[in-house]
Amino acid sequence: MQDEPLHPDYPLPDLDDPIMRPFWEGAREGKLMLQRERATGAVHWPPKPLYWKGGGRLEWFAASGRGEVYSYVVGREPFLPAFRHLLPLIMVLVQLDEGPRLVGYMVGCTQAEMAFGMRVRVVFKRLTDRVTLPVWEPDR
Amino acid sequence: MGTALERDLFRRIQDRVAIVGIGHLPFAKDIGRPIADTAVEAIQLALADAGLAAEDVDGMCMLEMEATHEVSIARRLGVEGLRWWDKISYGGGASCATVMHAAAAIAAGLATTVVCHRARNRGARSARPWSQERVLVKDDKALHTPWGLIRPVDVIGMWAHRHMHDYGTKREHFGNVAIAARRHANRNPQAMMRDRPLDMQTYLDAKVVGFPLHLYDCCLETDGALACVVTSVERARDLPHKPALVHAVAQASGPNPVHLANYNNTPHMETTSVFCARLLWERSELKQKDMGCAQIYDAFTPLVVMGLEDYGFCKRGEGGPFTEGGRLELGGALPVLTSGGGLSEAYVHGFNLILEAVRQIRGTSTNQVPGCKATLVTGASGVATSALVLRGE
Repeated sequence: MQDEPLHPDYPLPDLDDPIMRPFWEGAREGKLMLQRERATGAVHWPPKPLYWKGGGRLEWFAASGRGEVYSYVVGREPFLPAFRHLLPLIMVLVQLDEGPRLVGYMVGCTQAEMAFGMRVRVVFKRLTDRVTLPVWEPDR
Repeated sequence: MGTALERDLFRRIQDRVAIVGIGHLPFAKDIGRPIADTAVEAIQLALADAGLAAEDVDGMCMLEMEATHEVSIARRLGVEGLRWWDKISYGGGASCATVMHAAAAIAAGLATTVVCHRARNRGARSARPWSQERVLVKDDKALHTPWGLIRPVDVIGMWAHRHMHDYGTKREHFGNVAIAARRHANRNPQAMMRDRPLDMQTYLDAKVVGFPLHLYDCCLETDGALACVVTSVERARDLPHKPALVHAVAQASGPNPVHLANYNNTPHMETTSVFCARLLWERSELKQKDMGCAQIYDAFTPLVVMGLEDYGFCKRGEGGPFTEGGRLELGGALPVLTSGGGLSEAYVHGFNLILEAVRQIRGTSTNQVPGCKATLVTGASGVATSALVLRGE
């Protein structure tokens, strides 16, 4: 997706966080990265540090990028200036096909089109040279 | 928890420690002074109410958010020396935990008289924590703030909206909570909304803040300073007021906890209160039916509907209908938020709910439940939280 001028107060994620780094690096490459147990395939969220004792039993993998709307809210003023151009902002809790629920926001969709259980797919929104945000659109 | 041994260990605290003094400054939109200052005065009021002096205090417990220093408060109060102190995290999740930690310290002999307090200034729009969120978000907040999910109304709205979807909970049910709190506030001269009535049509017509939540679903924004004094039951018997005994208390994070957007804890996304309630009622010899009223944390109205379920006053999904027929109002089966709560008295991270619970045990509330022998106080759902059962002797 296209760049928009980024508000100077936009709350960007800390990319130096070693736990979350694979998630943000994946997003930059257009992949939605999740973590699972090697042996059982059980997917969990939020991710755990791989450098902990026993962390070797975990691995990151590229998820399907598909899921359904578990819940959503629609933000209106007063809101943070960094997001004002997006209002009304449809913030969504996506239940991924792999299991976990991820926070995101909707693009290409109005409030009237929103529904619980609606299928959604990930799209990637570039915020800066380093930060790309996974966001969601209807999977029509 | 759950074993006979664990229940036995909890009896070291149960009914052995009491809240003996309460006090607060008038609630305001702009109190005009720093919290390190208002805290001192609130504690002085609570000590005077308890019939105690600063020299009697040897412990201090407070909320960690917007922190002040124990030592400077102790110095300004005239405390001779602190032997024990504590700060507790997670905003409104910490309210009842201050009393729990104080009770544990007193039961363990680490302190004899502890003052717990909450002072915060957030009446001004610029003072709201979420409005100051900017640049480089770390740790748990990076899981939601980069998508704009920052305002508490939106974080809680995710649970509220799913509850509406799963159980058919209606806006009118949330409205019943707002109106019950407001009616109680209208009879409480200390409440910020004391002279502002609210009816269902006004509630329903209010503007959207974060769909599905509207203006009157949201708590007030308040500058406030409140304190209570906790001591052993032996000492409490020599003091002027009927002691409010700490009967049961609990703190819980629930599984797989996240600071705010706690959406992956269980398959059905229960709030943290479910886990706190389980522990609380295991420790409590009194049960839901014994509660004369309940002070359920109300930063937003859906937290009360869900809290009634989480703390076992009704089944999962029945919280909405439970609000009907005036059940939550004085004279109903379970009056809630009898001072007006965060919705209509003052929003001070739920510390006012503790003070109101003490008044109910003393029999001095402006919305007194006749013969109230015990009452429940809860902390914020969603975040790591705490809860408290107080009883009379």
